[in-house]
Amino acid sequence: MSEPAYRNVSVDEDPACPSHDAGPRVSYQLHIDGGVREVAGAWFGESLLRVLRDHLGVLSVKDACEQGRCGSCSVLMDGRLVTSCTVLAADAADAQVTTVAGLGVGGPARAVQAAFLAHGAVQCGFCTPGFVVAVTDLLARRPDADEDEIRESLAGNICRCTGYGRIIAAIRSVQEARRRPGDTRWRPGTGQRPGTDQRQGTGR
Amino acid sequence: MITTADGTIGAQTARPADHPVLGAAGLASPASLYRPLTVADTVEILADGAADLLAGGTDLVPALRTGRRRPRRIIALRRVLELRTRGASADGLIIGAGVTYQDLAGWSLSPGLAATARVVGSPQIRNLGTVGGALGTADPRGDLLTFLSAADAEVVLRSVHGARTVTVPSYLAEGRDPTELITAVRLPRPCGPQAYLKVGARQAASAAVVSCALVVDRVRERVACAIGGVAGRPVRPVAAEDFVRAGVDWATGTAPPDVVAGFGELVTEAVRAVEDPLPDDPRASVAYRRHAAGVLAARAAGRCLSGPSPVRSAGGR
Repeated sequence: MSEPAYRNVSVDEDPACPSHDAGPRVSYQLHIDGGVREVAGAWFGESLLRVLRDHLGVLSVKDACEQGRCGSCSVLMDGRLVTSCTVLAADAADAQVTTVAGLGVGGPARAVQAAFLAHGAVQCGFCTPGFVVAVTDLLARRPDADEDEIRESLAGNICRCTGYGRIIAAIRSVQEARRRPGDTRWRPGTGQRPGTDQRQGTGR
Repeated sequence: MITTADGTIGAQTARPADHPVLGAAGLASPASLYRPLTVADTVEILADGAADLLAGGTDLVPALRTGRRRPRRIIALRRVLELRTRGASADGLIIGAGVTYQDLAGWSLSPGLAATARVVGSPQIRNLGTVGGALGTADPRGDLLTFLSAADAEVVLRSVHGARTVTVPSYLAEGRDPTELITAVRLPRPCGPQAYLKVGARQAASAAVVSCALVVDRVRERVACAIGGVAGRPVRPVAAEDFVRAGVDWATGTAPPDVVAGFGELVTEAVRAVEDPLPDDPRASVAYRRHAAGVLAARAAGRCLSGPSPVRSAGGR
């Protein structure tokens, strides 16, 4: 296995992960942001999160709780919002995985990212990629969600900086801009569901 | 195509016959990840009882990461499409083990099941977690177990020797044989209001500390209740069920407030009497859970038995 340059301790030697010695290693392909990536010699029980970060260097997918509770590793798998830490990487071999980098221009992703910056919804930034994926998924499915629905839909994404107020404000501004006549940045129905447009994104 | 590091057969087709297991121990291990496409193939791989099943992954994958579980063989069920069907017949509903919470959340045929599914975890977890996974893990606080217990559901299990159907209580008491696959859950069609209520550390994305499912059957004139999070398995407060059943005016499907309040008190009594109470934990004391069970039960009964409310969902939070 080629060792990513940023990481100077290999996964196999991590004493916190004794189970990494159990079971054979497998090689397979993953479809990430429209590109095909080769995974070579990964432990068969590795999560999608660990393979994305440690084997493929996709660092926008953040690693915090590894229990499916914080949402910082959120990606779309075949267009569905999931926590990549609870997905077995080798079992995702035939799925389309979309990270924040691959959300594309068909949906609200660009407007969401701009609104997050404009409204101060990014502070330390650690939760931001997961939030952008989750918010893009929500607005593509439910463009007119009210604040209760927005808060409930984002209950699986934890932010310890903003208190969520600025994140909600950013989302509301995207919704308002969409309702304004003449706004062409994003209209539901004109783009694809995020994660289904595999021509977009570079895989990095 | 998946290949193992030592170049043995790929796990893509996942028929055991495609995986020559080398006889001499220690020489080589069989390919450890199987990704079957059919139930028939799955139970064949399971026949020696030596594999762990991977459904939505929300329990197993974090446990693999921490080393809490160390299976040599994993059977991933994501591609077994026949497990992902659900349907209704004249006598009941059948839900494949691979159906996710998100699939159930909008299912109009079972409003109580939909209400339960909507308050499980977060959207991320609801998109992954499955009915079969909930039963396989059988967490005493599992939302779905509580509802299925109240709904008199049955679990369908299959092995190479055939299929069998067991009630949820006997499934939870006896467990799954390692050679068996949970293929589906059966439950009667709803014949009245249903509710699922829970208290947790947060309103959303939080495991239940205590949960309560209430199923009213206006045809058979029965009320079924299950309380989760208070014992090793969901508790059916039979005396409380009988009390409220006798107090309901079945012509209108309503019960007076004193019957609803008395029902809550009897549920608390039933929880006090359980033989295997879950111990105090940092989230909630035994006394708190007992109290909360009665409050939730009375609230659920109030919603289901307070007369016509055609619009309001019986399963609200």
